[in-house]
Amino acid sequence: MATLSLRRLRKTFGPVEVIPGVDLDVGDREFVVLVGPSGCGKSTILRMISGLEESSGGDILIDGAVVNQREPKDRDIAMVFQDYALYPHMTVAENMAFALRYRGVARAEIRSRVAHAAEVLDITALLARTPRQLSGGQRQRVAMGRAIVRDPKIFLFDEPLSNLDAKLRVQMRTEIRKLRTRVPTTTVYVTHDQVEAMTLADRIVILNRGRVEQIGTPEEVYETPATIFVAAFIGAPPMNLLRARLEGARVVLDDGTALPAPAHRHANRAVWLGVRPEDLVWRPPGTPAIGPLLHGTALTVEPLGAETLVLLEVAGQEISARLPPRSVRRAGEAVALAVDPARLHLFDHETGSRI
Amino acid sequence: MRARGMWPRHAALLVVCAIMLVPFYWVVKTSLTGENIYAYPPRLLPQAPHLFNYVDVWYLIPFPRYLLNSVIVSLLAVGGNIVLNALAAYALTRAFPGRRWVVLLLLSCMLIPFQATIIPAYLITARLGLLNSWLGLALPMLSTIVCIFVFKAAFEAVPRSLIDAARMDGLGDLRILARVLLPLCKPAIATNVILSFIWSWNNFMWPLIVTRDPLMQTLPLGLARFLSYVEDTTGALYAFVVMVLVPGLAVFLMAQKEFMRGLTAGATKG
Repeated sequence: MATLSLRRLRKTFGPVEVIPGVDLDVGDREFVVLVGPSGCGKSTILRMISGLEESSGGDILIDGAVVNQREPKDRDIAMVFQDYALYPHMTVAENMAFALRYRGVARAEIRSRVAHAAEVLDITALLARTPRQLSGGQRQRVAMGRAIVRDPKIFLFDEPLSNLDAKLRVQMRTEIRKLRTRVPTTTVYVTHDQVEAMTLADRIVILNRGRVEQIGTPEEVYETPATIFVAAFIGAPPMNLLRARLEGARVVLDDGTALPAPAHRHANRAVWLGVRPEDLVWRPPGTPAIGPLLHGTALTVEPLGAETLVLLEVAGQEISARLPPRSVRRAGEAVALAVDPARLHLFDHETGSRI
Repeated sequence: MRARGMWPRHAALLVVCAIMLVPFYWVVKTSLTGENIYAYPPRLLPQAPHLFNYVDVWYLIPFPRYLLNSVIVSLLAVGGNIVLNALAAYALTRAFPGRRWVVLLLLSCMLIPFQATIIPAYLITARLGLLNSWLGLALPMLSTIVCIFVFKAAFEAVPRSLIDAARMDGLGDLRILARVLLPLCKPAIATNVILSFIWSWNNFMWPLIVTRDPLMQTLPLGLARFLSYVEDTTGALYAFVVMVLVPGLAVFLMAQKEFMRGLTAGATKG
């Protein structure tokens, strides 16, 4: 069990600075997910933690000790790779035992650890097979098994589910959650899938162009996104962002619609008004208006059974709303939406930071 | 359906194979009869075949000794090629300053014919005190640039994450090479074995220069020597040729499947 800290960790490739400086503290047994779009530097950070990539500056500390100069094998870290990275010429059991053999672990101990990990991951029946005889999901389990047998201080996962189909991904996500409770180890998990991040993480680190946009629990990053980038990245469909002006205690949209500003946000300035699709409440025609309403026209209607996703035009801008089934029937319908001022988010128009 | 549609192509290939094999068949046939190869009309089947020519070759010259020399020198060349080429190729797959120049230098060295370097090679071998020795005979063939690139292409086809995983598992470079890369690159090993064996086995020029003692000669030199011994050479000469060819053929047949894959690997990779 261990803690992991990154202090001003930097990475440059030639003249290109991909990670300008990241600070992060991962607590003992904490599960932290690095999430961000492709090319945001999340895998590079992971590879620097593992030692596979040299950092260009800053420090990596495991249990308070700087490990920058240590070889990957001396950091006591196990990594699960995106493409599983199983040795094709070895059986599942040999793959799992491989690292232990080079660490001078006794044969009996290796056998018992492999058997235990196989049992945890339900792959005991596969131990004599070679990787090519396994399905994608089974290979991923073996890759995790190989990490578990090492009993390392830290687990690193590099987009482990991205090669699996959608159904299997959901299943493996559940497996990883179960694994967390059985093998509680400090973990850094990299993904570009915000659903994976939300469902697995104790804390999420949202990265954009090598910079940390926000660090927080899944609830925090969802409920109070620190920047417009986080607001748009977390949530599906993403948060609606409308150009608006903050005028005293009101937020005024381009078409003059005025909404009460969230408490303590009073000032005169250009802002982005954020509202989540599920925070828009449908008002059936003829219902007496209570509070301010957003009026728009449905552009597309996607009935999903349990809910209906509607894309609307409001104040000359497109927004999406997650509405009850059978609320809006077809495109072209006029739609009135109520919104709780407490559920509105305001972001600075220039910097994109939360106000 | 498909197999039936292929028969004209197969028939054509069989004819071509037969044509390619005619000279070899003629060598074997002549070695068993000793008949004049220019005899007209030519006889397709051997008349009264016998093995006396083979016996002559075995006893007239120290054939077993030449065979031993050739085998040892070729084994040294094969071993050297696998070990040294794999090490060189692994280095070339890693990033280091000036790698591009090293690759260019190696490629340009391939343009220099062996004959042009034979004097310095001789002087170096002499300086090392290896003239007239098995190691000296194998020395210039211990590593070949073509075979380095065969290994390099094979190593580059191995997913990078496997090497990363091996490093995480605690393996150093030598072990990554021995335990991960080489077992995954058997076709490249087979290609190295066959090419280096054949080049060493057939080499005439270098053994001619570095051997002083007749007992250190290899089979190609022995063949030349044998020609000067016997008068009616035809049958014995062909028997000798067969005996020289058989080990090379055996090595090729044993490794040919992997060899084909090794030579075409990289060709299909985008």
